[in-house]
Amino acid sequence: MMMANSIRQEPSAKTGERLLDVKGLTIEIETRNGPATIVDGIDLHVDKGETLGIVGESGCGKSLTMLSMMRLLPNKIKVTKGEANFAGRDLQKMSNSELRRVRGGEVGFIFQDPMTSLNPVMRIGQQLAEPLIYHRGMSKAEARKRAGELLKLVGIPGAEDRLDAYPHELSGGMRQRVMIAIGLACNPQLLIADEPTTALDVTIQAQIVDLVKDLRDKLGMSVVWITHDLALIAGLVDRINVLYAGTVVEDAPVDALFANPSHPYTQGLLASIPKLSDERSTRLSSIGGTPPEPGRRPKGCPFAPRCPLAEAICHDRVPTLEGLNHDGAHRVACFVAQRKLEAA
Amino acid sequence: MSVVPMTTTPIEIEPPVSLWRDAWHRLRRNRLAVFGLVIVVVLAFAAVFGPYLTPYDFLSQDLNSRNMAPSLSHLFGTDDLGRDVFSRVVYGTRTAFLVAIVVTFIAVLIGVTLGALAGFFGGWLDRIVMWLTDMTMSIPNLLLVVVINASLKSPITSWMESRYLATLNPVYRETIWVDFLLVFGSMALISWPPYARLVRAQVLSIRSRPYITAAQALGLTNRIILMRYVVPNALGPLIVAVSAGLGTAMVLESAFSFLGVGVNPPTPSWGNMISDGLRVWQHYPHLLAAPAAVLGLASVAFSFLGDGLNDALNPRGAK
Repeated sequence: MMMANSIRQEPSAKTGERLLDVKGLTIEIETRNGPATIVDGIDLHVDKGETLGIVGESGCGKSLTMLSMMRLLPNKIKVTKGEANFAGRDLQKMSNSELRRVRGGEVGFIFQDPMTSLNPVMRIGQQLAEPLIYHRGMSKAEARKRAGELLKLVGIPGAEDRLDAYPHELSGGMRQRVMIAIGLACNPQLLIADEPTTALDVTIQAQIVDLVKDLRDKLGMSVVWITHDLALIAGLVDRINVLYAGTVVEDAPVDALFANPSHPYTQGLLASIPKLSDERSTRLSSIGGTPPEPGRRPKGCPFAPRCPLAEAICHDRVPTLEGLNHDGAHRVACFVAQRKLEAA
Repeated sequence: MSVVPMTTTPIEIEPPVSLWRDAWHRLRRNRLAVFGLVIVVVLAFAAVFGPYLTPYDFLSQDLNSRNMAPSLSHLFGTDDLGRDVFSRVVYGTRTAFLVAIVVTFIAVLIGVTLGALAGFFGGWLDRIVMWLTDMTMSIPNLLLVVVINASLKSPITSWMESRYLATLNPVYRETIWVDFLLVFGSMALISWPPYARLVRAQVLSIRSRPYITAAQALGLTNRIILMRYVVPNALGPLIVAVSAGLGTAMVLESAFSFLGVGVNPPTPSWGNMISDGLRVWQHYPHLLAAPAAVLGLASVAFSFLGDGLNDALNPRGAK
């Protein structure tokens, strides 16, 4: 069986081979006042077998980067520069039919809202069978059998009986499990989970994270998990990219990020997580101000207007990601953090 | 390695309730809709089997019993040629249904295809389709039918007659279907715009729903997405529109036949029966009352059914 081929130990073994390599991807949206840049030359990569967490506040371009990379966004939003290589092929240059084979076949998606991401008038068994018939050329009967196995795999009780259910007959947590089953149907090399737990309550969130972790280890795939909840994914991911206003501001292995958050934005994000040990009277910490609107990006570092540590240079020049440690595994795009390191 | 179970307690699994069964339950509770449905079913039955069940042929004349009042042997009486009015009304039902179904079918086919393509792909295709829709809507249907009658029908009919006399080929003998083809064909060709607009509006809202992006992320082709994800979700309002459209098409057929530009005698149509009855209604009111009552009943039944379907398929809009 396909899931037997690579059973790995935690933390997931990295092979160092690039599966996804996004270089200088720039995404623009057409507005009435001309094109506005939403994502500005983003670089990110995922190795085979690696789990990458992408965090950042709403509207920073997390989902947008992933969706536009797969060319899933409306025509108004366009990738204007850069490339996104998946397994050595540029997704931006692929023909539509090639791209369709990658979507669903090699890259699986789990979406944010399980309530609306399933076709309300189609039985879930059929929705599960669709990619199997299309990508794997299965017969209807084979696909149905496999759909039942997939539902069992994601822990839905009475899996076979549920095949004939409509989405509205399932709870939110169940539907998200169905979404995961659909995303995994063709045994993809990469699973992109776009805030899959945002619409669910806390206990179900933990179940879903555990489920994906479990399946990742069973099936040996890479995962990109997009979220704004740092704490949720701490136990799941190998590496975290912090996004701000469409650029990666910090890229670090998960332990290093929590132990030594170097970008002022990351520090702010971590400080915003409420702790049980806090006094009841303490106010929740937050980062003042709002992210820049697309089309009105500051000249220098995009975070500078909100940054407590900003200096003259920050308002003038855009910092690039530089390695903080000897092997460059922890990188940060901040003049202040980089200078501190040089001084040390 | 074990997958986290959903819950520890076993779950009662009920048989799935489909959207349609759900709608059917709501429809059944609506008395007016059930009334409409019953009338529609009875009329449809009459249209299909009626002509074989009526005691008289709709064309056979009995000059000894002309203009008779309704009685047990002639339920709706007889007309000025001694033909049984009940049999003619029943055959008129067939005419009305045939026209309504053909016209609506063609209109829905064109409307859904154009509307779905325009809404889904947008851009220049959308602009062209909408332009075509506006243009078609500006054509008044009565005027078009009169023009077709005056310009195309008689030359084609007389050409066919001359061909028949020259070749004796039976293909050219019957000219009745020219009426249907020309008049109601042209009616179909101009009655698709409401369906196109409706479907386009539906598709525009469905296109931006997350499950469409999810389907695209699965690598499905546009054709599959349109046919399996978009159109089925737009079906509810379309069914309501079709139900109302069938009633409208029936009334239009009667109106054209009444004016003498639709179905021509001796083929019975409610419209030309009303037209005939109107001339003598002071003396023989049943000749007007019978076809008019059935036409009214049919029109009311279709709109009650349409309203009921609307409430059943869009429960949120229902009071």
